[in-house]
Amino acid sequence: MAQGAKPGEGGHLPGHKVDAVIARLRHAAPGTELVSPPPHHDIYSIEDLAQLIGDLRAVNPAAEISVKLVSEAGVGTVAAGVAKAGADAVLISGGSGGTGAAPLGSIKRAGLPWELGLAEAQQVLALNDLHGRVRLEVDGQLMTGRDVIVAGLLGAERFGFGTAALVSLGCVLMRVCHKNTCPVGVATQDPQLRAHFAGEPEHVIAFMGVVARQVREEMARLGFRRFDELVGRADRLRPAADPAGLDLAPLCHVVDGERRFVAAPPRPGPSRLDLALLDAAAPAIARGERVAAVEAVDNRDRAVLARLSGEIVARHPAGLPDDTVEVELHGTAGQSFAAFLAPGVSVRLCGEANDAVGKGMAGGRIVLVPPDAAALPEASVILGNVALYGATGGTLFARGRAGERFAVRNSGAVAVVEGTGAHGCEYMTGGLVAVLGPVGRNFGAGMSGGAAFLLDPAPERLGSGVALAPLDPEDLEQLRALVVEHRERTGSSVAWRLLARWEREQRRFGKVVPQRRAAEPAPSHRAAEG
Amino acid sequence: MADAFLDTDRCDPPKRPVAERILDHREVELDLPADALRDQASRCMDCGVPFCHQGCPLGNLVPGGDDLVARDLWRDAVERLHRTNNFPEFTGKTCPAPCERACVLDLHGAPVTIKHVEKRIADRGWREGWIVPQPPTQRTGRSVAVVGSGPAGLAAAQQLRRLGHEVTVFERDDRLGGLLRYGIPDFKLDKADIDRRLRQLSAEGVRFRTGVAVHDAAALLADHHAVCLAVGAQAPRRLEVPGAALDGVVDALPYLVQQNRVVAGDAPDQRIEAAGRHVVVLGGGDTGADCVGTAIRQGAASVRQFHYKPAPPSERPAETPWPLWPMTLQTSTSHEEGASRGWSLVATAFEGRDGRLERIRCARADWRDGALQLGDEVVVEADLVLVAVGFVGVDGPLGVRVVGGRVGGDTYRTDVPGIFACGDARRGASLVVWAIREGREAARAVDAFLFGSR
Repeated sequence: MAQGAKPGEGGHLPGHKVDAVIARLRHAAPGTELVSPPPHHDIYSIEDLAQLIGDLRAVNPAAEISVKLVSEAGVGTVAAGVAKAGADAVLISGGSGGTGAAPLGSIKRAGLPWELGLAEAQQVLALNDLHGRVRLEVDGQLMTGRDVIVAGLLGAERFGFGTAALVSLGCVLMRVCHKNTCPVGVATQDPQLRAHFAGEPEHVIAFMGVVARQVREEMARLGFRRFDELVGRADRLRPAADPAGLDLAPLCHVVDGERRFVAAPPRPGPSRLDLALLDAAAPAIARGERVAAVEAVDNRDRAVLARLSGEIVARHPAGLPDDTVEVELHGTAGQSFAAFLAPGVSVRLCGEANDAVGKGMAGGRIVLVPPDAAALPEASVILGNVALYGATGGTLFARGRAGERFAVRNSGAVAVVEGTGAHGCEYMTGGLVAVLGPVGRNFGAGMSGGAAFLLDPAPERLGSGVALAPLDPEDLEQLRALVVEHRERTGSSVAWRLLARWEREQRRFGKVVPQRRAAEPAPSHRAAEG
Repeated sequence: MADAFLDTDRCDPPKRPVAERILDHREVELDLPADALRDQASRCMDCGVPFCHQGCPLGNLVPGGDDLVARDLWRDAVERLHRTNNFPEFTGKTCPAPCERACVLDLHGAPVTIKHVEKRIADRGWREGWIVPQPPTQRTGRSVAVVGSGPAGLAAAQQLRRLGHEVTVFERDDRLGGLLRYGIPDFKLDKADIDRRLRQLSAEGVRFRTGVAVHDAAALLADHHAVCLAVGAQAPRRLEVPGAALDGVVDALPYLVQQNRVVAGDAPDQRIEAAGRHVVVLGGGDTGADCVGTAIRQGAASVRQFHYKPAPPSERPAETPWPLWPMTLQTSTSHEEGASRGWSLVATAFEGRDGRLERIRCARADWRDGALQLGDEVVVEADLVLVAVGFVGVDGPLGVRVVGGRVGGDTYRTDVPGIFACGDARRGASLVVWAIREGREAARAVDAFLFGSR
């Protein structure tokens, strides 16, 4: 949920480090800065987190799910919530770690020692009989076998090494990871400097071997035969006299209750609808046959199609050809409808959908239409908040409005909706969104790539960092094609009206683009001039 | 600024041509032009963890200084450098620069020219008149005797004086400066540099007494609240081989001293002249290299330098990875001037006629399995042998306990309360930069002894 070294700060990859490879991996244009905002726009509560864990488990039932929390006072309560939300592991992240790209103020001043958060998490989990079903992990500048032992005594069962492992590969702590000038080739895209990278896997293996040996020596000294025996034995720690007068004894308190992981509780299996869809799609997955299915859906069905998408991608990493699996659903879909949708799946939902439609979708098509009897669809919300969050591909057509935070962090999906709530297209890095109706405030804030076409755009609704630009002929052609497809797939009366008098109506549109791109020629353009 | 290393190569300062420089005893190294110097300083990457700080015994704040030079802020650079180093002109000229071997750019073999930048900062400071006496603003009423006026003694004296103590430096020689004055040849360090610093120390109120050899440090406690011994480690290691008493077998240090005296205008009674002679220098260290350069300047017929170990590798060996100081082949300016070097040669006998040396018998050293085995014999004609095989510790009694040639131990204290030791006398023969560090640290220890930590 955040990094212990710089809690609440998010991340920022400067544009000059975004080369072709990074851009491809992050679904962005080379040279574009990539902002990872501190908040998770799909998680506002522990229930949201439980939903995310459920979504992830649906798309990949074999994956272990670890939730990273910042070491701080009160983290125990959060850890207990995370355990109840169904995570496999809770990671307590301390304040001393982080890369050299972190701001100096964060490195020196932000975050708290992992010892504090770990001790609290361990005590709260044990008191509530929760540690038995979740593993405790820790990171934050672990360096030695002694660190591992102390963390183990405080309740940790897994240990993350970042800086130390990097140093074993040649990192010299230059703290210029963000400048692209790393002289040892660890954190740079510059081929000349990358040639200096001398790290080998064996170096990390050797380092970990030394840590393991130190762990064994310390265990022998303490009289433990197996690591499991020492987990949570905080009574074997003796608080050192603290010069600042801190009383560290509470960290060494051992509460009643299970003090280490025993077994994961049973996880819910696929739903009736999941099984029916898997069944229907089996010939498509096995032999690439085109299949179709019609089912009813209600809002107890969460992450519909996520399970199917996971199965498809497990067999076909790039997905299936377009429209291989066609699904028609009737009713009200629960949260995370068509999350992580895979290429080749086309779904048409007659009804409405809850939050997080198409979250993280990679391909395929989602069409949302209201029941035939609905009045004024273009004035009604047909899908909930945070749809298309983090989508990397695919298309969405909705005859109706979207909720708040539509297409936040979208990096590749193409969508047409008839209105959005606040914060639409925030932090978008790619893709294309056409809104054929009103938008809420703060539209496009922090956008660094892609574009949005807005009908009758209101400048005061735009967030910081974006600008309105007129549509060029190419844009107009693209927009018209989208509106036509929207009309075909949804029967939208808005689209009918616009297309009926397109020559006049097209002038009502404005294009929202990142301000920097509106002001300067694109990097490729500049390079051509130079 | 911090990415200039990407497109700027290292450029060492130029040297006077060999044919010209061996005709005099003036300094060999020249200055880089101003713009080239700025480019070199700008190669510093301003590392997040500057390993040069650890590489330098003084902890010089190298990245800051280089940055100030690159930005033309010379006065700030002079001030920054003097925060950690009392005498940057000495180290800028004589230091082997462990900082450069700890420089992150040395990973790729081309570190920043830290040493030359240091020298130029000091030069600029003197030229502009920015380096001025800093007399204490208040007096403590305590008196400290410093014995020895080499770099350790001078650094201790300056630090103690600036803290407000009365400081008297005792020097057994006729001139001040210790090995800076008489050990290091003029072609590496112009003696005017020492005089310039001594004027600064005098103006700050340090008193100097030359020609006073101290054999009983405790006696000084009668007149002083504390004593700091910085007497060096000048007792030479002796070669236990037949014929060592022959005329023509000379210890390195007396040889270097008398040449420095000649350059200074003295007329020593007994000149040791290499002119026209076939010279062999035994010992492959810095002192040996100084002997080579001096013999060449005196007009030796030939100069050879023998070392008892095999030639070290030219590349950094695996057992001393960056940022450690590597034992690699060092080619000093003296070696460029026409000496041949022999490796794995151990002197077994000096032979001559009528008490005069004529030849050396050496054995080929075989270091397999770490133990020395003597192999084939090599006979070399030589009528002057300069013995530079190291120093074993302090020479002469001091009135304090000496263990293994060293005074003091892990701390700067000796066995006598109030008597401290630093520099080569404490750590064994070492570098100027270590001497300055020791002097500064000993001054801190003396001050803590007098006043507690403050």
